[in-house]
Amino acid sequence: MPMHPHAKPNFRNLFWYPFKITLITALRTFPFFGKRFGKRLDWGYHNSEHPEFLDDGSKSRASKTSEFNDITVQTFAPDRVTSDLFPTLWKPQTVQYPYERLEEMEPWLFVPGNYNGRIGVIWETCTACKLCVSACPNDCLHMTTELRVDVLDGADGEHGGMGGELEVGGHAATLLPEVVATLDDFNHVTAHTDTPNEWRFGEVLDLTGSTATVRWNDSGEEVEMDQSDLRVADDQIVSGRIDLGRCMFCGLCMEACGFTSFFMTNEYDGMSGFTRQELWMDASRTRVLPGIHQEAVDTELAKRATKERTKRAKKAAKAAEAKAAEESA
Amino acid sequence: MDDIYDLRSIFLGEDSIVSSLITSSLEGTPLEESSGDLAFLAGTFAVVNIVFLMLFFSQFAILWIERKAVARMNDRRGATTALRSLWVGENGVTAGEWWKMLPFGGGIVGAINKFLNKKFGNRDENFATVDRVNNRSWMGYSILPGFFQNVADGMKFLLKEHMVPRRADKLIFEVSPFLIVSSTLLILGIIPLSSGIYATNPDLSILYAIAIFGIAPIGVFFAGWSSNNKYTLIGGIRSAAQLTAYEIPLLLTLLSVAILSGTFNIIESIHFQHAAGSWNLFLMPLGAVLFLVTMIAEVERVPFDMPEAEAELVEGWWTEYGGMRFGMLFMAEYIRTYAACFLFTHFFLGGWHLPFQGTISQIPVLGDAYVLIPGAVVVLLKTWLVFLVVFVWARFSLARIRTDQILEFGWRMLLPLSVVQVVLSVLYRLYLFEPDNMSYTAEGGNAWDAFGIPMLVPLATTLFWVGVFYVLLNDEDKDAAPDRMYHVYTLQPAGTHTPGKD
Repeated sequence: MPMHPHAKPNFRNLFWYPFKITLITALRTFPFFGKRFGKRLDWGYHNSEHPEFLDDGSKSRASKTSEFNDITVQTFAPDRVTSDLFPTLWKPQTVQYPYERLEEMEPWLFVPGNYNGRIGVIWETCTACKLCVSACPNDCLHMTTELRVDVLDGADGEHGGMGGELEVGGHAATLLPEVVATLDDFNHVTAHTDTPNEWRFGEVLDLTGSTATVRWNDSGEEVEMDQSDLRVADDQIVSGRIDLGRCMFCGLCMEACGFTSFFMTNEYDGMSGFTRQELWMDASRTRVLPGIHQEAVDTELAKRATKERTKRAKKAAKAAEAKAAEESA
Repeated sequence: MDDIYDLRSIFLGEDSIVSSLITSSLEGTPLEESSGDLAFLAGTFAVVNIVFLMLFFSQFAILWIERKAVARMNDRRGATTALRSLWVGENGVTAGEWWKMLPFGGGIVGAINKFLNKKFGNRDENFATVDRVNNRSWMGYSILPGFFQNVADGMKFLLKEHMVPRRADKLIFEVSPFLIVSSTLLILGIIPLSSGIYATNPDLSILYAIAIFGIAPIGVFFAGWSSNNKYTLIGGIRSAAQLTAYEIPLLLTLLSVAILSGTFNIIESIHFQHAAGSWNLFLMPLGAVLFLVTMIAEVERVPFDMPEAEAELVEGWWTEYGGMRFGMLFMAEYIRTYAACFLFTHFFLGGWHLPFQGTISQIPVLGDAYVLIPGAVVVLLKTWLVFLVVFVWARFSLARIRTDQILEFGWRMLLPLSVVQVVLSVLYRLYLFEPDNMSYTAEGGNAWDAFGIPMLVPLATTLFWVGVFYVLLNDEDKDAAPDRMYHVYTLQPAGTHTPGKD
């Protein structure tokens, strides 16, 4: 993601650009001169100067709605208007949300980081303590369980195989590369749907050597595949559904969370729908996993793995001690 | 070079009309001996009043400029009060048949108004496009719409009740506005409109300006303290706190102006700019910027208006004032701003001198016409331009900063920079200035030549600072921290990776 040059607190952004925008805005309202500043889009207000700073969602919106953004062929909701009395006088009218977003056109007006927007949950570090559920005054959080990959699992895992292991009768999952490839372009904010699941789940029927027989849940098909391609899944992993229709964005849930798993993003988009059911955000729609939180996830997981490791070591030591005591006795 | 329109010589000259009138009328009377003194008194009275009225009424333009600018920023036209407002109200709602209050039921006045309303009233709604609040009169768009809105505002203030909060310190509460307003009006006393139009001209007028500018903050603090209101108290304290941050850089900047011009007198510093051949703006752009920044803080305008931060403190230290006291405080605020613009014009923009006056005045016919432009007009135009370009523009562009930010900015940026400017001024005056090339003629001097190149010093200085400005605009480490500031952004969309496996 290339950063927009307007987003830094330097002299140009704090001083010069505000002055420039003010000047253009004022000049736009004058007869004759106004037209020079109002009608031309290459002044960059609609970001025709820096297409490289549009993210994928904006690009797709822009391509789908070019007729709305092009002032020469606009059909409704003009963003510049004039009058019969002063045909030369043009004035700015509207930011074409959701086709344009204010922070894309005027990025120095970014949404502050402490804005309470869309809820995001790092389910990987959630411990199901339900503090958020009890903190919620509107009762919009509902905690459930879900069939998911256990992130602590895997004998080859970085955390030393401190999770579970594949067992007959248990669940397993394999990564779908074709879904992973589409996830890069998937904008969960504007899609208004669940994020496509990159895992295919199945039941483990048999384990022989390094291979496993798995029956896929979606197709019922039985396959035999290498165990290294499978991750341990569990249908008792904590998950939740948030009824955003009831949420008032007070952020008490975020404050209640003791594991920094629950946070309010500053994203204001993607919380609308045509039915109430669309506002029931399942785990896949709250799975906003921002890069800056990735580190926190890793740290948290490493911490838990260490804890588990010490626990096991202590247990082993205790067992050895008991064994030694037994032997000596 | 002196302005050719010399008001003072008309009223105070040796053989002026005032002097000869008084002398001839007192001939043979016991007062004959003191006729010279009386002529001086009358002349001074006339000059002071004329200058004050010029300054005072030209201040309407300041308010008007700001009103119109704020309207432009809001896609409106601002107050458009005009004569037409007497017979047409907002969107066809007339002001009522007010003429019936006149003697004999208004008579001809009512008839005229009725006719005008019929003929030039609001057009029908199909023709109207977008009507907005306060578009009282589209007829008023043509000639200085809303210019006399301040008269209406003043009348409104005069008619309002004066109230003192119950637990306020009544004496201080009443005295503070007068302290502020009177000290503000005293600033106007030393501001010249041209070489021949000024009220007084003390030798140390720059020092006087600084001193008198510094009185009002005391009144502000008194007002904030005595109102017995948390908002006003916080406003007053903030005013006192930010005082320390900007006063010292301001004094140092004015000191560097005085050093460069070799005088503490405003009029002499203007003469110096012409005689040396360059406006101070081009010799000390840094000083000009420092002066403007500190002056914005001094007159408590955005972005340094924490003392009256509307969003937090209602109306800041003047929350409890109402009626004409509020009006006077408001007026004092704008007079201080106006005075700041005048001082910038005089210190940095050559006062009443036109651009390239020395060069253009040498051209046979055009030059003669050029210098016919009254100096007072030049000063006023420059002042209004400074107000519009600096004060108004900054007000609508920049956001209010916090108290700790202005303190940090003042002590860490403005103060060192103003010290640098003082040193630069000393160096310029000592080593780059050639006093032999000063010339007080119409042509002006060329005391800032260097290495035989005319005007090298101001040109090089200006180019240097333009370069600094350019670098500031473009200097950016494009590879640094690609994250958006404070922005939660999904760098790795969910599901594209496995924690711990990347």
